[in-house]
Amino acid sequence: MPTLGLITNNQHEVFQRTVIAGVQAVAEARGYGLIIDSYAEDEANPRPISLDYQAVDGVLVLASAAPPDLLREIYTAHIPLSLVSHQTPDLPVPAVITDNQQGVGELVKHLVVNCARKNLVFIQGLPGQRDSDERQRAFTHEVMRYNLIVPSKHILRGDFSAFIAAQSVQQLIDTGAIFDAIIASDYLMGIAAVETLREAGIAVPEDVAVVAFGDGSEAETAGLTTVAADVMEQGKRAARQLISQIEGLRIRGVTILSVRLVVRETSLIDPV
Amino acid sequence: MKPRGGTNKATHSQLRQHNQQLVLRAIYNGQANNRAALAQETGLAKPTVSELISELLDEGLLEEGGRGESTSGGGKRPRLLHFVPAARHVIGVYVDDEYVLGALAILNGRITARHHIDLNSAQGEAVIESVTDVINGLIAQLDAPLLAIGVGVSGVVNENSGVVHYAPHLGWREIDLSRILREHYDIPVYVANSTALVAMARYVYGPTDEVQSFATVRIGGSVGVGIVINGAIYHGGGEIGHLRIAEQSLVDVPPAWEGRLESFLGWRYVKQRAYAIRREYPASTLPRDGEYIRYLHIRQGVANGDPAAIAIQDELSSHLAQVFAWIIGLLRPNHISLTGPIADMGQPFLDQAIARTHDLILPDLMQSVTYSLTETNDLVAVGAIAQALHRELGLV
Repeated sequence: MPTLGLITNNQHEVFQRTVIAGVQAVAEARGYGLIIDSYAEDEANPRPISLDYQAVDGVLVLASAAPPDLLREIYTAHIPLSLVSHQTPDLPVPAVITDNQQGVGELVKHLVVNCARKNLVFIQGLPGQRDSDERQRAFTHEVMRYNLIVPSKHILRGDFSAFIAAQSVQQLIDTGAIFDAIIASDYLMGIAAVETLREAGIAVPEDVAVVAFGDGSEAETAGLTTVAADVMEQGKRAARQLISQIEGLRIRGVTILSVRLVVRETSLIDPV
Repeated sequence: MKPRGGTNKATHSQLRQHNQQLVLRAIYNGQANNRAALAQETGLAKPTVSELISELLDEGLLEEGGRGESTSGGGKRPRLLHFVPAARHVIGVYVDDEYVLGALAILNGRITARHHIDLNSAQGEAVIESVTDVINGLIAQLDAPLLAIGVGVSGVVNENSGVVHYAPHLGWREIDLSRILREHYDIPVYVANSTALVAMARYVYGPTDEVQSFATVRIGGSVGVGIVINGAIYHGGGEIGHLRIAEQSLVDVPPAWEGRLESFLGWRYVKQRAYAIRREYPASTLPRDGEYIRYLHIRQGVANGDPAAIAIQDELSSHLAQVFAWIIGLLRPNHISLTGPIADMGQPFLDQAIARTHDLILPDLMQSVTYSLTETNDLVAVGAIAQALHRELGLV
């Protein structure tokens, strides 16, 4: 049976888990097996990546799970390769990504137009990661579109880590900064921001509205407003992209998934 | 021009296709939903209608479900026919100066996937490869047979032959894009000017009370005008960036582009001009020479009273007013919509251009025109989809 290889840092977090479920569904339907190399289930003690890419018919890589050198190696060996939520600027490898520009556009519009917020804070993802950089660039564009003033201390480090995001928000609160909305580059950081604000006695959404990119059951439980693409769909599309390459189609560029705004309690407020 | 294949005489299969389209269109538009009503609506004989419907059912474009009201004569309740939008896919592709954007849609125009590739200054053959890369990216996502491919190009295009005569930014001259893609994919391909397709998209999928005659002005790397007159799309609109509007341009341009409209409104020249104006205003906060700059910087600068931004907007709005004045003077449209990257300049910019247009044309002409901004990247691809649907199934 032809086989797809998949490289991921882990398969328990919700994004990875859901993408893999989508990949699995298409692989099964098209008669492909799936080998998953999940090398950092224990985040503190990652194994080396061990997937034998020569032994599979094509490779999928989730986000930045494989270093650029390995991607080049696989590409140079003419093994079909597709990336999920990632991009290699120097290799013509196709990817399936979400529409970050549209998503951030909808979040900022929601905060400014529906919630009448002006003093925005942005929590960054991981610099150098495609989604992260695109979301931040889109934020800069939207700030210009609505003529907002965002001092540089309102751009917080988050590294796609709830812990770091919470720390950054706490530090911002400690400086006495004035802000009335937070946009987080992913929803786990958004949830961390909501918790940190509330612990500091700041009312969400009355004093500060919080919104974030991406969606999952945790966001729903936390009542967090998000924009998200269907992550399962992203996995399916990535699998189709890879299988089409294996079957001889030359694909370059990125397949883009649209996102949808889901308004929940953390930004549900009548404009003043 | 070389004669294209085929004659005007309708062949049997053309007639059959025509009749099939009549039937399909009547169901798609909700004019009829059973065999008897279709015969009445289309004027075709009942046996012909039945035969056509059985073909359409076989092809999956129609499905049967439920029964309608019985006729006044008390006859049997008719079996109802439904159009199946997901039975086929259509690909629409926009070839911009800087990127190629493709969209995959089902037959009601709903987009189910997009694919994008940056051209990174690619020219000629490499651009054609990027077009096929994008189409391949969407073919990978098909879950129904592909009906047709529509392509919009910012250049001079013969939409009947599908030949791109001239697209200077892509390094294309006399490229038979339609034939190249048809040979590659073995399905119908329709190529048109990108701005004409924007007009098509607005006309087909725009607000239903859309005015009867309107023009779409698209400004990005180039300048194009798409036109709908009395409810019909006028192909042959398109690029106007080559029109000469002055003896000299305001920035350094290749000799062939001296004084031409595009050197005043095309983004690469606007950018140069913006840097030059910025140099005259040391207090301005706009990006300096070589720094990353977008229309949004100028928009924000204007909102904050930045003198350099105001000066740039001032120039741009008078150039745009000139374009509006030509269109109004020649075509008398009810509506003009401004689209493309320049739409990022926002409403204040459009308002200024409208005010300037007042100074250029007779007051009577101005009163009947309304204006709008359309800020979306998808319109060309959507128009290409609409055109393919129109040409292939006669649906829109």
